[in-house]
Formats: sequence, C-alpha cells, structure tokens
Amino acid sequence: MESNEVQAALASAVEEVVETMCFASVIASSEAASDDDVSKSGVSAELRFEGDPSGGFRLDVESAAARVLGAAFLGREEHEVTDAQQGEVVCELANMICGSVLSRLERATTFHITHPCLVPKGATTAYVGTEVRRCFDLGEGVMTTCFRIQQGT
Amino acid sequence: MQLRILIVDDSPAMRSFIRRVLDLSGLTISECLEASDGREALELLEGTWVDAILTDINMPRMDGEELVRRLAEHDVFRLIPVLVVSTDRTETRMQRLLTLGAKGYVTKPFAPETLREVIENSLGVTHGVE
Repeated sequence: MESNEVQAALASAVEEVVETMCFASVIASSEAASDDDVSKSGVSAELRFEGDPSGGFRLDVESAAARVLGAAFLGREEHEVTDAQQGEVVCELANMICGSVLSRLERATTFHITHPCLVPKGATTAYVGTEVRRCFDLGEGVMTTCFRIQQGT
Repeated sequence: MQLRILIVDDSPAMRSFIRRVLDLSGLTISECLEASDGREALELLEGTWVDAILTDINMPRMDGEELVRRLAEHDVFRLIPVLVVSTDRTETRMQRLLTLGAKGYVTKPFAPETLREVIENSLGVTHGVE
C-alpha cells in the first residue's frame, strides 16, 4: 500500500467526516505531520483494526478545536460541552475517519475495528510498522491523524 | 404519521448526534428512545412499541449483528424495520446484515436527508416535512 494512497484517503476521509458530522471545514496540510505537530495538550483517541491490512489509527485534536468540534457534533454551545463529551466525540470521529479510510483503501475486505479509547495527554504509542501521518487545520486548532499499517499485512 | 424511533448505540455522543439528525431530517418524530446495546434494546422492546430501530454494530454485551438476528427470529419484533448505522462500508458486512434481516444500512458519516430516505424506504412511506 503506497503512502500517497493513504495520504489521499486520510484527506478525503477527514474532510467528509468533519464536514458532515460537525458542519465544519478543514484544510489539509500539504506535508505529512511530524512528532512535533502532535499537540501535548489536546484530546487523543486511538483504535486498532484487524483485516487485510491490520493496524491502528490515532487522532490528536488540539484543545480549542476539540471543544468546537464537540459542540458542533452535539449541537450545543461550547461552554455546555464537558471534557468527557469532548472525549466521546473525538473517539467517534476517530472511529468514523478510520472506517472511512479503510473503505477507501480496501472496500472488498471486512475489517474489525476495536472500540476507540482515549489516550492520556502527551502519551505516545510505540509502534512497529508503517506510519502515515497528516495534519489538518480546523481554524481553531490542528487535528493530526496517524494511520498505522502492521508489518507483513 | 408520527414515528417512535429506538436508537441503539453504546456512544452517548452518537445517540445524541442521531437524535439531532432526526430532528433536522424533516421526519415527524414523536419520541426517540435510546439503548446502549442490543440486550438493553430487547429489554426495552418488551415494554414498548417502536416504528423503527437504528442500531450500531460494534457494541458491548450484545452487538448489532446479534440484535438483528434476535429481532428477525422474534414473532412480533421481526415486524419492526431495523436499520444499521455503521462506519463499516464493506460490501460483505452490508450484505451479511441485510441477509440477517436488516431493512437498511446507513454508513457514517451521513447527512440528515440520507437518514430520512433510508427510514422512509424501510417503512414504505413518505412523510411530510414539517
């Protein structure tokens, strides 16, 4: 699976999910994200998928952007959205973006996607395999995606 | 015709989102009931009737596939249209759920009009926009 193919799938999936579910627009960066782009003070969620290929997906959203997305997703004012609800929304977005990416890459294969779980602030995940990252500007903050493909799948 | 809809999803955020989308869809909804998994949905159905069920697949205790299977086997509940709402867009998954008895399949993300269309198709009716 080519990195460019995954990059394109990530861009299309994020745009579709954020625009449809949060009524917001995103601007994809022209370059892949690095470790420095991953916020240490935002909301992060990750999940694993099993199929062909198997791997994982992580979504990091800066605090201000997570608040805006949470409010838009739930149809509430920003001050009404709790930290827990922001976490739930970021988990849902991670689930949908990952599912959307997988369906763009391998439509004929059935994947099992695990429940997304929140990652403690600032925590990084060691991983063996290929990682494809891309960040997106939401206006109020940056969203970083990391799609991981297990070696040998 | 006013509809009573049961939303089955383990994510409170997604249940809240679906409620909002139903409000925006133009369908006339009299009540939205919620369950966090298949088992809770079956328990709820023992005491009340709904016109349609929207269910996620990946849930704890009883997932969406098992829920669809149990509903299809039930003498009364099999009459309720079940629509699957999932991130999984693979053809094999969709076909399996439809074969088990689901009347429709909506992939996330989805727009209000998409949900409305699938619900209307499953009920075989067209509802007026309020």
